[in-house]
Amino acid sequence: MPAHRSLGALLAAAALGLGGQSSAAELQLQVANPGGSPIADAVVYLTPQTAPSHPSPPKAIIDQVNRQFVPRVSVIQVGTPVSFPNSDNIRHSVYSFSPAKTFTLKLYAGTPTNPVVFDNAGVVVLGCNIHDRMVAWVLVLDTPYYARTDQSGMAQLDNVPPGEYLLRAWHEPLSSEQPGEMIHVDAGAAAVRKLVLDASGPDMAEMQQ
Amino acid sequence: MILFRSLRVRMIVFLVALLGLVQASEFILTNHASYNAARGKLEDDLGVGEKVFARVLRQNAESQEQAAAVLASDFAFREAVATGDVGTLASALENHGARIKAKALLYVNLNGDVVADTLRPGEPSRHFEFEGLIEQARSQGDASTIGMLEDRAFQMIAVPVRAPITIGWIVACFPIDGELAGDLRGLTGLEVSFALEHAGHWSLLASTLPPAQSGALRAGIPAYPAAMQTRLLSMPGGDQQARFVALGDVGAEHIVAVLQRPIADAMARFRSLRATLIVLGVISLALSIAGSIMIGLGITRPIELLLAAVRRIRQGDYSEPIRIQRDDEIGVLAQGLDHMRAGIAEREQRILKLAYVDSLTQLPNRSQFNEALEQGIAAARARGGALAILVMDLDRFKYVNDSLGHGVGDHLLRQVGQRLASLIGPEGRVARLGGDEFAMLTFAADPAEVIELAQKIAASLERPIYYQEQLLDVGTSIGIALYPLHATDSETLVRNADIAMYVAKRNKSGYTIYDPNYDTSQKEHLSLLGELRRAVEHGELRLYYQPKVTLNSAAVVAAEALIRWIHPVRGLVPPALFVPFAEHTGYIKVLTRWVLQEAVRQCGVWRRDGVELQISVNISARDLMNRDLPDAIQALLLEHDVPPRLLCLEITESGFMEDPMHAQEVLERLAKIGLQLSIDDYGTGYSSLSYIMQLPVNELKIDRSFVSHMGEKGDLATIVRSTIELGHSLGLKVVAEGVEDGQCFALLRELGCDSAQGYFISPPLPAEAFREWLAGSLPGSAPVKRAQQSASLSELARRQSATG
Repeated sequence: MPAHRSLGALLAAAALGLGGQSSAAELQLQVANPGGSPIADAVVYLTPQTAPSHPSPPKAIIDQVNRQFVPRVSVIQVGTPVSFPNSDNIRHSVYSFSPAKTFTLKLYAGTPTNPVVFDNAGVVVLGCNIHDRMVAWVLVLDTPYYARTDQSGMAQLDNVPPGEYLLRAWHEPLSSEQPGEMIHVDAGAAAVRKLVLDASGPDMAEMQQ
Repeated sequence: MILFRSLRVRMIVFLVALLGLVQASEFILTNHASYNAARGKLEDDLGVGEKVFARVLRQNAESQEQAAAVLASDFAFREAVATGDVGTLASALENHGARIKAKALLYVNLNGDVVADTLRPGEPSRHFEFEGLIEQARSQGDASTIGMLEDRAFQMIAVPVRAPITIGWIVACFPIDGELAGDLRGLTGLEVSFALEHAGHWSLLASTLPPAQSGALRAGIPAYPAAMQTRLLSMPGGDQQARFVALGDVGAEHIVAVLQRPIADAMARFRSLRATLIVLGVISLALSIAGSIMIGLGITRPIELLLAAVRRIRQGDYSEPIRIQRDDEIGVLAQGLDHMRAGIAEREQRILKLAYVDSLTQLPNRSQFNEALEQGIAAARARGGALAILVMDLDRFKYVNDSLGHGVGDHLLRQVGQRLASLIGPEGRVARLGGDEFAMLTFAADPAEVIELAQKIAASLERPIYYQEQLLDVGTSIGIALYPLHATDSETLVRNADIAMYVAKRNKSGYTIYDPNYDTSQKEHLSLLGELRRAVEHGELRLYYQPKVTLNSAAVVAAEALIRWIHPVRGLVPPALFVPFAEHTGYIKVLTRWVLQEAVRQCGVWRRDGVELQISVNISARDLMNRDLPDAIQALLLEHDVPPRLLCLEITESGFMEDPMHAQEVLERLAKIGLQLSIDDYGTGYSSLSYIMQLPVNELKIDRSFVSHMGEKGDLATIVRSTIELGHSLGLKVVAEGVEDGQCFALLRELGCDSAQGYFISPPLPAEAFREWLAGSLPGSAPVKRAQQSASLSELARRQSATG
């Protein structure tokens, strides 16, 4: 289910920003852990070094269903207002101490009036103050060029204008953005680039419980 | 006394030892069981203690963890952490640490760095040294460990701080210190110590033990791995049961908890039991000692009484009855002993009587007489006095007894006893020594008095004694011995009196006072017997022959064989010195046999020589008792071819008066053989002619005491004449002996005496000399004829002087 949604977001992004450019490049990326195993659902993204134009990003929704944040991982662009509707019949208190966005939504039911705008890039970990098990990640990106890997760790970025980019990958439960590598993107298709991401950590085990 | 005391002591010692042994074993067993029970109980206690200890530690950890978790989930705290507000973080830790009583609270971030530390506030951030704890917490969420911080042991608990994912850890540190040990002791009742082992050395982190003991504990713990199995610790004040519980390892160091309790503590509840046992033991020992003393006394006191009674009986005191009234065995024993005492007393009375009293005469017997004599001698010796004893027997008693029966004899003895008893004073004693022998003891000091007493006795016994109107005629011979003159001891005194009595009997003097000379002859007698035997065996004896001459024809027709002893040292021993002795000892039989043999042999020799002489041989009273005598003589006569008429046996009156019946029987048998029988020494005895008439005798020999002096005394000649007439009227030949001069010889011929014998005719001569005398007197002719031819008195007298 998350895959469909992210696919949808991807398509939307492609349609909005990069649709008609013939000089666009196409990147094949593969993410694997240090042991060589491919990582699914990793987010790969390219941050242009030249100031890009920022079209107003669409709104995003992180629902709370059965004491779970839905979706668990959201990838949004800087400036995206995110609303936190509460679909449970109990109240939640959503907070984040992440430096990219620190906020607290006092205990509430239903949908708060104002969405939270994530105006800084970075990883924001969301929790519920009264339900410790509830956790969600919001990867706030300063770029529209991102994609998620499939089961084989593969992801594809289309319509990327040639130029200098910082290529990075992320996967929950990493609570911050990882160091990336500077790449130069040329028009046209290129060979598969491989990325190594160490997403293991204490939280992994905890999250898998 | 000692025996009983020891008996009692033995009883007590045995009982007490037995009881002591039982109680000691009981005590030892109980003690052992108590010890084992105490150890077992301690083991259980320690096991429980260990579980409690573990539980408490775990609960401690859990509650600390929860407390830390509460802090970790505090929103404001998390906000402070998440926003990197170190100051707020430190103060929150401080505040919270005080609240949860943690000694220290640390915050460690995801990088493993200590961000805040209440133990060392304000110090720069550093890497957290207990990476293992963080690693464990990273993989398991939370974790706890034991660790050393600044030389102190802590239990450290790490809980994650989530926002909502883990962003760091709170590490709460609770000291493992004296307080914890004290708490644990309060819960478990055990002494609790925490020890750290480092490179083989132990140090104590904390202990509830007093310092002295904790020092001993530290020194006493074995090396590390072995220590964990240790159960027994030697401590000052006694062994302690222990458990070692591993708390954790810090690198190469080991932290352990030591749980222990003194065995003595567990023994404490047995101590009162032991005290009770000891008290019971002492009481029962005391009771058993008292009891055994009482039983001992109960047994030994009557035994002592019995012993005293036995001692009295042993000393001859039977008078006091044994009075121990008891129903038990001792009572029965006492009763039996008393019966025994009474029985012994009664029997002793009877035995005394039997032993000291002659049943026939009721006079004291020999034993009592000897005792009385001993006492008398002792008394006399004490006061320097004197005493005398008289020993007497009855003449002819045997005759009375044999001829008239024992009843008469007994009557006679009783009568004699009564008369003697009436003569002796109250101080004196009369006793019957046995047979017809009596003895008297008198304290008369003067020998004249004693002689007077002896005369009185003799006179008293001369008074007739009747038995059923039959006159019993007894005489007596009395021997007298004086103390201290003749002997100073009773035995010798009696013996000397005996000797004197025999002398009196021999001398027919009625009584005789002992004379030491008798004693020497007596002593000679003893050696004499041996010498006499030797004399017979070595041929020292000879027969001398004294001729008998017929008075009317002066023919030598017979000779008397007289024994002579040619002693190799003493020379010629007179017959008076050994013949009476031989008669006394019975050796006379041997002598008579020898004499008979020699006489018959000589007679045979002479007969074959053509000299036919009748030989007379003296036979003693004892020989007449010998029933074999007639056969023996007959055998001799046959052997030497001697006709019986050539052997004449001369018997003294006393010879057959001792046992007349028996003597008569033997005499008749001898006469039957054809022997000539002659009554020797006629006139000295008391034999009545009526008795002699019954005997088969042929000849009467008038005693020399009448013959030798009849020339000077007319009355003696009268006696000799009447005797000759009497003999002839009885049809007997009459022979006179002791003819010592021609006057006597002539007078006898006048009186019609048949034959004469004496020194006037010839002294006794050895066989050869006798033969020569015969031949010399009448050479070349028959003896009878020669005697007839040379029958002049002058010739006879000359010859006597030549040989004399």
